[in-house]
Amino acid sequence: MKIIPYIIYLYLIAFHYTILSEIVDIYQITFDLAAVIVGLIAMYRSESVALWFALAAAVVAGSRNPELIPWEILLLGGTAVVVNQVSLRVNLESIASRLFIIGGLVFVHVLAVDLLVSRADVLFSIYRHILPTVLYSLVVLWILFLIIDKKLTWPKIKSLF
Amino acid sequence: MNIYSTVFYRNRRLLSFSLAFVVFMLTIIFPQNIRNRLGETSAAFFLYPFSELKGYVENLEGVADENKELRRQLVEARRQLFAAAEAKRENQRLRESLGFDNDGEFNLIPVKIISLFQDIYPVAARINKGRRDSIELNCPVMNRDGLVGKIKEVGPEHSIVALLTDPSNAVSGRLAESRQFGIVRFSPRRGMYLDNLPADAEVASGDVVITSGLGGIYPAGLSVAIVDSAGAARGDIMKKVWLHPTVNFFEIDELYVLVDGAR
Repeated sequence: MKIIPYIIYLYLIAFHYTILSEIVDIYQITFDLAAVIVGLIAMYRSESVALWFALAAAVVAGSRNPELIPWEILLLGGTAVVVNQVSLRVNLESIASRLFIIGGLVFVHVLAVDLLVSRADVLFSIYRHILPTVLYSLVVLWILFLIIDKKLTWPKIKSLF
Repeated sequence: MNIYSTVFYRNRRLLSFSLAFVVFMLTIIFPQNIRNRLGETSAAFFLYPFSELKGYVENLEGVADENKELRRQLVEARRQLFAAAEAKRENQRLRESLGFDNDGEFNLIPVKIISLFQDIYPVAARINKGRRDSIELNCPVMNRDGLVGKIKEVGPEHSIVALLTDPSNAVSGRLAESRQFGIVRFSPRRGMYLDNLPADAEVASGDVVITSGLGGIYPAGLSVAIVDSAGAARGDIMKKVWLHPTVNFFEIDELYVLVDGAR
């Protein structure tokens, strides 16, 4: 039964790739949900769970382009372990530190996938696609952390209007 | 058992990493087709349900647009129907004042095809109604696109329709614009064509060919075909006009038999 939430997360990643990304994209830029979820699990769960979930998420993320599956496994698996180890050593009380860690994971993942897929001009790609994706992912993560820390609640939102 | 569990728990991290490394190496070593199959399996499990959902929603959006367009066409068709009914009444009054006989009224009997007799083209069709439903020999048969053929055999509960693609079934037709008469025939090799048309007849691609009403089988004005191309060699008396039938004989399903309304 412990596996069910992880399967739901995998379906959430698939939902993002097929439907959600088209709805929430801004100028063809969307957040990297696979890296975000892998990062969150690596941050809050054990190393082995993070590693195996990252492997499964890599297969789902790579299913649209099977050539990428090994590289997705390497990237998401490797970064999940790194995020897990860093999380054990830093104070995760502040939102900024959590954003920095997962932002780093998203940056590495998007940069590597971009290099593998397009092999286009890296600097242009960083400016046009990678940094906006990281920024968008950080905004989504920031809202998520505010909700997790109960700094953003329904009564507070209601009080604004 | 005890030794194995002790070894496993002491080296759990190492085993986990080793297994993950083996998985990674296998996906690298696998040939492309196995990686593709892995991707397809994963897509079938995770992406496919959402792709289906997306397709369904997009289809619904298309249906809404189509519905809007069909409603517009319905209003336009109703307007044309009222205009046609008014023109028919006017025509009837004028014919009466000139002392012309009125055209016979027809009842449409909807029928379904039970089987098709097919060579290269379908040439005949067995339908599910016969003499008991007032169908008689030589009754014209049409569908929503135009003339399909005529009844060539009638049984008590079934009939056989000779389609226009039957080479032995010719129809007296005329060009709707220039009112020139001809005979519509079908050849399995050459397709549908208009025969007996004078070389100086005015024909253009896209002209509609309708039934002439001559011959006493088909009522006048049923759509038969559209002119594809026409031409006459120097010295020819007759023009060759190639036609494109308005009915797609490979896709006919629901037909209507025209029965004399006076009966």
